[in-house]
Amino acid sequence: MMAKELFPEAQEIRKGRIRIETQKDKVGEIIKKLKDNGYEHFVMLSCVDWIKEGKFELVYQMWSYQYKEHVMISIKINRDGESMLSMRHLFPQIETYEREIHEMFGVNFIGNPNLKEFILEGWPHMPPMRKDFDTEKFVKDFYYKIPEVKEE
Amino acid sequence: MTIQKEFELFIGPNHPGATGNMSYHIWVEGDKVKKAETRVGYLHRGFEKLMEKRIWMQNVPLVCRICVPEPDVNEAAYSMAVEDLMGWEIPERAKYIRTIILEMARIGAHLLTVGGIAASLGIYTAAQWGVGDRDYLLDVFEEITGARVYHIYIWPGGVRWDLPKNAKELITKVLDYLESRLPLYDDLIMNNKVFVRRAADVGVVPKDKAVEWGVTGPNLRAAGYEYDIRKLEPYAAYDKIDFEVPYYPKLGEYEVLSEGSDIYTRTAIRMLEIQQSIKIIRQALKDMPEGDVILKHPQWFAWKVPAGYAYTHVESSKGEFGYFVVSDGGKKPVRVHVRGPSYTHGINVLETIAPGLNIADFAPTAISLDVCPPDIER
Amino acid sequence: MNHENWSKLARIMSKRSLWMIHFCTGCGAMEMPPVMTSRYDMERFGMHAMATPRQADVFLVTGYLAVKTLKRVVQVYEQMRDPKYVIGFGSCTINGGMYWDSYNTIKDLSKYIPVDVYIAGCMPRPEAIMDSFLKLFDMIDKGEAIGWQKYHKYYDQYKRNQRMAFSYRLDEVKDIKEDDKE
Repeated sequence: MMAKELFPEAQEIRKGRIRIETQKDKVGEIIKKLKDNGYEHFVMLSCVDWIKEGKFELVYQMWSYQYKEHVMISIKINRDGESMLSMRHLFPQIETYEREIHEMFGVNFIGNPNLKEFILEGWPHMPPMRKDFDTEKFVKDFYYKIPEVKEE
Repeated sequence: MTIQKEFELFIGPNHPGATGNMSYHIWVEGDKVKKAETRVGYLHRGFEKLMEKRIWMQNVPLVCRICVPEPDVNEAAYSMAVEDLMGWEIPERAKYIRTIILEMARIGAHLLTVGGIAASLGIYTAAQWGVGDRDYLLDVFEEITGARVYHIYIWPGGVRWDLPKNAKELITKVLDYLESRLPLYDDLIMNNKVFVRRAADVGVVPKDKAVEWGVTGPNLRAAGYEYDIRKLEPYAAYDKIDFEVPYYPKLGEYEVLSEGSDIYTRTAIRMLEIQQSIKIIRQALKDMPEGDVILKHPQWFAWKVPAGYAYTHVESSKGEFGYFVVSDGGKKPVRVHVRGPSYTHGINVLETIAPGLNIADFAPTAISLDVCPPDIER
Repeated sequence: MNHENWSKLARIMSKRSLWMIHFCTGCGAMEMPPVMTSRYDMERFGMHAMATPRQADVFLVTGYLAVKTLKRVVQVYEQMRDPKYVIGFGSCTINGGMYWDSYNTIKDLSKYIPVDVYIAGCMPRPEAIMDSFLKLFDMIDKGEAIGWQKYHKYYDQYKRNQRMAFSYRLDEVKDIKEDDKE
């Protein structure tokens, strides 16, 4: 069954692109249902920082080879320390995406034991993909201030 | 004295068997791999952060640097996402030019990969040939776009400029040359007994798990699925072009020597795709209409892209390259998230299939999955 | 022969058998295969890619360096034997190139390890790479490629900068001064 038949709240944003806005406790159920109904390819898990609203948007994206349709399941969680349940039992690659989002945005995923360092090494500052982290300021205050080697 | 049975082994980042600047941490017992872990992050430049700071057009030169062997897919996917949000329909001629450029890039990337797989199994001549033949394609790229590696030719709204007048002769000459070379590659690699014995039934991705694990592209087709984004959701001019998608067990002139989904089948699929790409470029050159190649849109630094979500994907030589772009109606994107095919191939898939492999088969398996680190960490 | 003449002779001998460490640090590594293989063929200069640092003489830092890679680069550089030469490849090693505002790439390679020759461009063409080799030969001949001597001489300054970068903090300097006292 196609996503629009399964979930009446789904809206088609353009041809072959479906968007479902939902709450965080329903995500597991929706992904499971879609997986059983032909949406068998988990594309990616993205995180969008809506700093004005104070929310992180997590977008679980799935694709159906059968219906040629891409589904984005979107939830919003609070920016300040709200955690999310891990979905790694549904698709194994979600574990890696959660690991990256944990590192880059600081979202905690309950039930994912593998949230160790992924890309950065020994990063002491705020997670860099958050909107309030100013990369230009950081570069000017840090890399440009490292002294040059003085030759006598 | 006790004998230590298990050893830890680091492959990369400074290792000829690692596919670029990444490393694998493997635990071995005897010469069998017990456990493998992929370590990435050596190439992290924070593209997604930088893209949020630049205006829509400034991001085009950034995105092509996400995949070094085949940069054009990134430009195409990003441009398609922007066009999707803007509601633009690009000129017909631009679509054909995009097809030609993308297919040329695919041939180049496949030549590198096939050469790399063969070299990791000891056939160093193939790597020399692959790189050498790819260079003729780079010459054509230079003639068309002005650059060898990063072309920045595909823009939102079409392509930057029209093909030069002699493009058809230039491209046809290289294609003729490549076509004459392919039988030699077959003799060197595919019909080579050493290659077949080292590659058949080695590094198998379970067929029933392939889709669930997020395997895409030639690796998925080697597992027996006829899935290709060029056919499923045609972009550029692929819907007007007649071509076949090679998949296991339809290996054309190559013998089916294994159960599929192994190094041998993945190499065969790539060789067949080179043939198909040559066919596509010839057709596109023949059918290409005259006309504009770029939309007459407003000055690029005045663009405001309507708010919304877009996801576009293209079939790269490695698998599905996807761009998830979010706009709030401003001059800069809110978020651009790139799905690189190596993200699943290099981490989950490789870590899961590695146990039980021979150490010597580990590097060929990684290369045959076409793991390219820049699209994992971006 | 006196010492000066001996070292002159040694330089002439060594410049035609430089081995390059096989370490693809950035996207510039994409232009290395054409240089290494049949089309441009750097073996005619006596250059060859070598997997182990201990047997290598030249380090081509191909492109931008993430801090995580810089750690490996420094380690590899220190493992290489004297005399050793560094070629900074591409704009990113000079001033950060197009990643000038990226939080994870270093901007100026010469703050962390001494660089003998820079190649400008993103990415430099194989001809430019070949040209940099010739330039390096010339410098070795004249005794100007002395980056490795600088590394010994200003070791504490290089180490201080490296530790700052590795920790992503400027205030690490204090610790280093205390280390040096001990």
